Amino acid sequence: MVKLEDLRQEAAGILKSGKVKYIIGYTRGTNGFRPIPAFIKDPDDVENLIWNPACVHNLTKFIVDEKKRLKKEKNPDKRPIGIIVKGCDSRAINVLLQEKYINREDVYLLGVSCEKTGVLDEKKLNKKLKGRRALQVDFKDNGSWLVTTDSGQEKIQAEELLADRCIECKANFPVVYDIVFGDKSLRKTDRPFQSVENMENLSQKERWEFWKEQLDKCIRCYACRSACPMCYCDECVVDTISFAVEPDTPAEEKAQKIKWIEKSPNLSENIIYHLTRAMHLAGRCIDCGECERVCPLDIPIRFLNKKMEKEAKTLFDYEVGFDPGKPSLVSSFKDEDPEDFIR
Amino acid sequence: MAEEFEPKIVAFLCKWCSSAGSDLAGVSRMEYPPNVIPIQVMCSGSVSPLYILSAFKKGADGVLVSGCHPGDCHYIKGNFYARRRIALVKELLEFVGLDPERFQMSWVSAAEGVKYTEIIKDLVKELKPLGPQTKLRRNP
Repeated sequence: MVKLEDLRQEAAGILKSGKVKYIIGYTRGTNGFRPIPAFIKDPDDVENLIWNPACVHNLTKFIVDEKKRLKKEKNPDKRPIGIIVKGCDSRAINVLLQEKYINREDVYLLGVSCEKTGVLDEKKLNKKLKGRRALQVDFKDNGSWLVTTDSGQEKIQAEELLADRCIECKANFPVVYDIVFGDKSLRKTDRPFQSVENMENLSQKERWEFWKEQLDKCIRCYACRSACPMCYCDECVVDTISFAVEPDTPAEEKAQKIKWIEKSPNLSENIIYHLTRAMHLAGRCIDCGECERVCPLDIPIRFLNKKMEKEAKTLFDYEVGFDPGKPSLVSSFKDEDPEDFIR
Repeated sequence: MAEEFEPKIVAFLCKWCSSAGSDLAGVSRMEYPPNVIPIQVMCSGSVSPLYILSAFKKGADGVLVSGCHPGDCHYIKGNFYARRRIALVKELLEFVGLDPERFQMSWVSAAEGVKYTEIIKDLVKELKPLGPQTKLRRNP
């Protein structure tokens, strides 16, 4: 079990010694059991740090934001940032390291184990509680969680409440860390790509009907892009607003920017947007599920990325986020890559 | 009598092999269907997934990406990168329910004018029964 006392003590220690600028972690929110991200600068505030199965956010995004902010500062504080990472978040750090977006000394990683379980899916929890309001969710022993509701406590097997991505997770333990808390043992997964396989077993027509319905909903709010730790490009191909325009950018250059994808949210443009995003995340997505969590229309965006992860594994034997020293998926090749689809 | 459906194929041909191969087919006066719109690119490895998706969006019924045979790339390894990337695009398009025949890749060298005409003939034959591509098209 992760001992919160140890975590808080370590956090206070590194803050006091000035080893880190601040610590990004989770704290109690004001809305029921849902924690919120916390930025802790004062060693006295470490008591607010928590870690429980409701800590779903991928905090790595804030490292990316910090990196962008540092670029603009005149006298940047170059000390590392302390960050609490789960298994999937640590893989996100690994991908950022692999792409040399951050350096290892920019971050101080406080790894936490998912205790052979993972994080919860709010919809599954609400369904299970049947109208009762959850106030707190905690790790308990043997892969079960203790759910505190307004009408008492209840012990529930984690498998019933786990988020889909956690069921398919193959490393629910940080792969990169400076210090780690909790149980190192892994939960076994027999079918890591079950949801994608179920989808592939549908007929071509059924698949099209599914995606047509799902992607037609998209309103192009770009929340998925904003929440994604891997979507850190300053210029994004899908919207012209993000193109870097400086006071001296000539009109011709502005006019010559190609609009590959129009802004209007219609089915065709939406499909192109989501497919492009899936391609840009191929071999980079670590399946933290943030895109799907923030989507206001509940589009199963994760499927597209998971499909890419599956193909990377089956076609090219490439696993995302385990080795920051390896070349990335699309910037490397092997002689024996499959080519049976080529005429 | 209703006119027969003629598929529109966008072919991204690499400058050094496939484009020269299609030229050879032309200067040798080989016959092949006029359905193909060739676009010369510097290397098959330079074909971004966006080119392909964009072609489908603008109404292509089929897309072909063609490059040099492995080992013959003018830039030594461009077509190896292409092979990986195109495989992923193909899987993704099939995953959302596009017909697998609509997106194809081939190796055509500068000497393979005959092979090029065969590929185009096959492609047209496969695409005709599928009818127009309306799934990814902007204005179907």
